[in-house]
Amino acid sequence: MPISLRPFFLSAMVLLILFPFIYLIWLSLSADWSFPSVLPNYFGLKNWKALLISETGLLWSFFQSVIISISVGLTSTLIGFVISRNIAYHPRKNTLTLLSYFPYIISPVVFGACLSYFFLKMGIFGQMTGVIIAQFMISFPYALIFFNSFWGEKTKNMEALVSTLGGNRFYSFTKVLLPLAKGMLLVCFFQTFLISWFEYGLTSVIGVGKVQTLTIKVFLFIRESNYFYGALSCCLLILPPLVLMYINKKYVFNKLT
Amino acid sequence: MFLEIQNINKSFGNEKIVKDLNFSLAPQKTLSVLGKSGCGKTSMLKIIGGLLKADSGKIMLDGIDISFLQAEKRNIVYLYQEDLLFPHLNVFENIAFGLRIKKQKEEHIQSKVKEMLELLELGNQGEKMPHQLSGGQRQRVSFGRAIIINPSLLLLDEPFGSLDTGTRQRMQQLFKDIAHKFKITSLFVTHDLKEAILMGDEIAFMQNGKLKVYENKEEFIADPSTGVQNEIGFWESLISKEQKISTL
Repeated sequence: MPISLRPFFLSAMVLLILFPFIYLIWLSLSADWSFPSVLPNYFGLKNWKALLISETGLLWSFFQSVIISISVGLTSTLIGFVISRNIAYHPRKNTLTLLSYFPYIISPVVFGACLSYFFLKMGIFGQMTGVIIAQFMISFPYALIFFNSFWGEKTKNMEALVSTLGGNRFYSFTKVLLPLAKGMLLVCFFQTFLISWFEYGLTSVIGVGKVQTLTIKVFLFIRESNYFYGALSCCLLILPPLVLMYINKKYVFNKLT
Repeated sequence: MFLEIQNINKSFGNEKIVKDLNFSLAPQKTLSVLGKSGCGKTSMLKIIGGLLKADSGKIMLDGIDISFLQAEKRNIVYLYQEDLLFPHLNVFENIAFGLRIKKQKEEHIQSKVKEMLELLELGNQGEKMPHQLSGGQRQRVSFGRAIIINPSLLLLDEPFGSLDTGTRQRMQQLFKDIAHKFKITSLFVTHDLKEAILMGDEIAFMQNGKLKVYENKEEFIADPSTGVQNEIGFWESLISKEQKISTL
């Protein structure tokens, strides 16, 4: 009977994918681990307990990142949905859509440097508000492009039908368009949340070290060669995307298929 | 007259879509409008429904000038060829949609929608979602949703265009019955000659943005530009060929 290599190959693939995550958790639980020791001298919850110490600032960074990303995700999704309608029905739709790609043709750092003068003048340089606005400027065009496919002749006719039935524009938005786009709105929120969550270049320029999101913190720890805290912050960093993936699968993907 | 259209004109760029539109319609009557694709039928309906702004002209409905009223305030319902049922609402809620806009009492909504469902022969389908219905059933729900709010005028833009012949015939009869029961005044746009003759109390023909309303169906049939004579000629030649073959 020939031996099938498929199960071994699959197991190896799963291990390969899972290894970085397992290793991250391992590192976050380790301390005092230097060459030539095969295993760390300390293995426990010491680093995780350090989350609560204000010195590391990890917990504050985590909450700050959550606030920033939720604000960016919510505003860009909702405003993007409304504005994308105007773009889709505009006679110069193609030109406006092309302009939506503008923030992506230059690097975030250069984009941040261009914005910094105006942000400085407005007094939001190095502030959480400034970072939210800057991140909004890159996630909002994403939402515009994302919702482009939603609008078309059918939605236009539905809006017209609602108005002939006596409903105003607000009614057609709340009772027809938003419920119709529910799945897309959720996916767009997840995407823009993630754009903001993992954003580094723009945040570091506009935040000038004063706004330390979790992504900034990870790089700081790595620069300091503090791999254990780095791993710990990475674990925190992947936590919300995992939660979003779960919600996405349970409430969006399953309903779409 | 209940509906009076006076000197309506509409252009898109240099192209004149609707030219000097003038006609009137008595209450509880249906005017069939026959015309080829792109002749300006849909633009005409959209102007009357308030979905498109006319360049000039006046629309009077029951003695009131509605030319500058927004679509939601005209009480004129526009029905598309596509049923446009809201996919996130069940049949009951689709029919109740207009009543909910008008903030009617829940008991009133329940009784009116149930009555409408029975009338549309959809009594046990209220909980179904639109995707679970057939084409004919969907179009019936679409009718019910429009008629339940008791519109002053109903605009139908080739409503049976996507249905098969059998369903189309049943829907034509159903529409005539409902229109009679609810005393509906309507404009029925179609490119189907037979349907135009069947559905209208009055009949009109639209060509290159100009509308001609006929005094009676005989005048419509006699006019060579409507294509009725061609149609009759086609069937007559077919019949005479058949007869020749059978005598041989």
